[in-house]
Amino acid sequence: MSADTSTAVTTPTAVAPGFNRALVGYAVIAAAALALALTVPSGISKIQLTTGPEAIKIPLLELPAALAVGVPVIAAAVVAIAALVQQLRTKASAPRWMAIVAGSLLLLGFLAHLVAGKDGVLPLTSLLTSTLFLATPLIFGALGGVVCERVGIVNIAIEGQLLAGAFAGAVVASIASQNPYVGLIAAPVAGVGVGALLAWFSIRYRVDQVITGVVLNVLVLGLTTFFFKGLLSDLEGLNDRARLPVLPIPLLSELPVIGPVLFRQNLLVYLLYAIVIALQIYLFRSRWGLRVRAVGEHPKAADTVGIDVNRTRWRNTLLGSAIAGLGGAFFTIGQGLAFGIDITAGSGFIALAALILGRWTPTGAVAAALFFGFANALSQSLRSYGVSLDSNIPLMIPYIVTLFAVAGFGGRVRPPAAEGVPYVK
Amino acid sequence: MKKSILGAATLAVAALTLAACGQAPSDDPTTDGGDGGDTGASEVKACLVSDAGGFDDQSFNQAGFEGLQRAEAELGVEINQIESASDADFAPNIDAMIQEGCTFVIGAGFLLEDAIQSAAEANPEVNFGLVDSGFSDPDFNPVELDNAKPLLFNTAEAAFLGGYVAASMSETGTIATYGGIPIPSVQIFMDGYSDGVDQYNEDTGSDVTLLGWDKEAQTGDFTGDFDNQSNGQNLTTTFLAQGADIILPVAGPVGLGTGAALEANGSGAMIWVDSDGYLTTDYGSLIITSVMKEIGASVFDSIEEQVGGSFSNEPYVGTLENGGVSLAEFHDFEGQVSQEVVDRIAELEEQIISGELVIESPNAP
Repeated sequence: MSADTSTAVTTPTAVAPGFNRALVGYAVIAAAALALALTVPSGISKIQLTTGPEAIKIPLLELPAALAVGVPVIAAAVVAIAALVQQLRTKASAPRWMAIVAGSLLLLGFLAHLVAGKDGVLPLTSLLTSTLFLATPLIFGALGGVVCERVGIVNIAIEGQLLAGAFAGAVVASIASQNPYVGLIAAPVAGVGVGALLAWFSIRYRVDQVITGVVLNVLVLGLTTFFFKGLLSDLEGLNDRARLPVLPIPLLSELPVIGPVLFRQNLLVYLLYAIVIALQIYLFRSRWGLRVRAVGEHPKAADTVGIDVNRTRWRNTLLGSAIAGLGGAFFTIGQGLAFGIDITAGSGFIALAALILGRWTPTGAVAAALFFGFANALSQSLRSYGVSLDSNIPLMIPYIVTLFAVAGFGGRVRPPAAEGVPYVK
Repeated sequence: MKKSILGAATLAVAALTLAACGQAPSDDPTTDGGDGGDTGASEVKACLVSDAGGFDDQSFNQAGFEGLQRAEAELGVEINQIESASDADFAPNIDAMIQEGCTFVIGAGFLLEDAIQSAAEANPEVNFGLVDSGFSDPDFNPVELDNAKPLLFNTAEAAFLGGYVAASMSETGTIATYGGIPIPSVQIFMDGYSDGVDQYNEDTGSDVTLLGWDKEAQTGDFTGDFDNQSNGQNLTTTFLAQGADIILPVAGPVGLGTGAALEANGSGAMIWVDSDGYLTTDYGSLIITSVMKEIGASVFDSIEEQVGGSFSNEPYVGTLENGGVSLAEFHDFEGQVSQEVVDRIAELEEQIISGELVIESPNAP
């Protein structure tokens, strides 16, 4: 917890980490909100909230742009300024919910601004569905990374674990006469296989963990490509597609907006909810979590009180890899697709960015992954809102957002202190 | 420390060994026969370098290889081929083919452009071919090389017919298309498709709209790569939510995501590209027809030209006329496409071949 030099100059008293960054963040939100409010085009914004089979239907909202944009952005500005004032007055960080509320309102106003005065409709529900769809593998990957890195093992091999999970999920489900649930068991096992190699080389042989991770990614890509070309393409029945069925939750799935987005999903996504909640609670509120964090922060101290550092690392690296491997199943059986070469297409590296932006906490990683998913979903649907752009610009959005998020808003982050350092007694 | 280096080395060796398994140069015994009948054939040795897709990719590498095999069988030329496992293999593989004594080296796919171009500049005595791309300098200005022949396809002509069929089959009056990466060889499909829809609207007075591509502005929807099938599925779901029912994905394997999205949706159909999707994918029952590039024919024709004793760096351009591009059969949709549409398509094809109807595209070769 070293004091930032600029912090020391502006405020002589010690402040919480991230204090100044939060100030800048709130100021940016307020300024962006005002800029949107001042540039509202005339016309109406059409917002669609219900599309599918949900019981409660809301008709297409056709609001004057001034209202649809003005209300959320002014509310965003008010919340941001309130947080700013409170933070300056009390010299303590404003509650986290203020940032989330202000940011969400700003985004809503921004979307309404996009479709204002155009023919296009803003399908809010389907945009949110796309966000979760595209973010699901990123969340799995980032959570797998959180467990590994909290215990002190750098996991660059998330991409390899996702790819191995995608491959094993598809092939095993196909062999088991296209039963997707069998594939759901095989995927984490494949992830554990990659994780075991990572742990073996990192803990037993103390190889540089970044290098091991990179090599494992290449290994899994090579292996899956080899098997795909050598076996799956030639033999029948090894790579037939299977799909996890959608299991709508009674009542909850009938709610407008959140029903189709959250509760009309397959088992894999419900498992994801359970894993997010369990990890957030257990990592910070249980004996297991305390041990994991102790080993990741100060293995020597953990060792002195009788925790077997390397055994803890082994177990949790395997656990994290299993979570990432399970996420890989989303690319194949989660979507009803057969395996294809490099089907994960670099998602593991975006998951790694989400993990860092989320500061090694489960909820932070989820928020960051959802943010990347949203940027990707928005880039794919921008044109359908009637926004005409050069084809290359929407493709850049997710990467620009990633760059700014990690470099700018993420700022300086502190990984677990003993991360990447092999433990030798 | 020593232990750790040893560990890293073992792992690296294992990874490289496995990666190498994919790209062993084939030693096809039949290539050594070389008892070509006429004198022209014995002097030509045609060789093909794949991109990372490999010769069993059910797409253009495979099609090119089939053209090469046909040249061996019908023209009696010597052939050889090598698979690339990654972009880094292109230049060494091309060099290996030149060392093997190949007189005509063909690169399968626009990704090999730079590698073929530099090899052509370094080896003026060897002839080169490049599937699906012309050559350009670092500033993207087109250049001509004396010993390299681009094999190009005016897919807009076949995509035009595909667009006409799609428009006629749409029940919702909205159809869609998207691409993998915004490059000319992708966009040309979308141009032709868009014109086909316009033609249908003009013929029948209907008002079918096309989502995903604006030919005027040359802007449209793209997933950003040719790998991530999730993006294809998500984009298709977005189109379906907007009322589209027939989709043309111009994105290689990413188009399989469209198949999965249509399957989940329970209705809708698609039009495949490059090869006959009914035969090469698992989604045959959803594929109305395919806009095909006859890459095999282009490879065969360019080899045949050399066997005849001539080589020109004039690009080969596949058209409806020379059979380089075509519309596949309707297979399962045979009875569903109305006879009027079938007749009109045949008529339009005639007009394009005779030059009466010209499909304009800024992306045309």
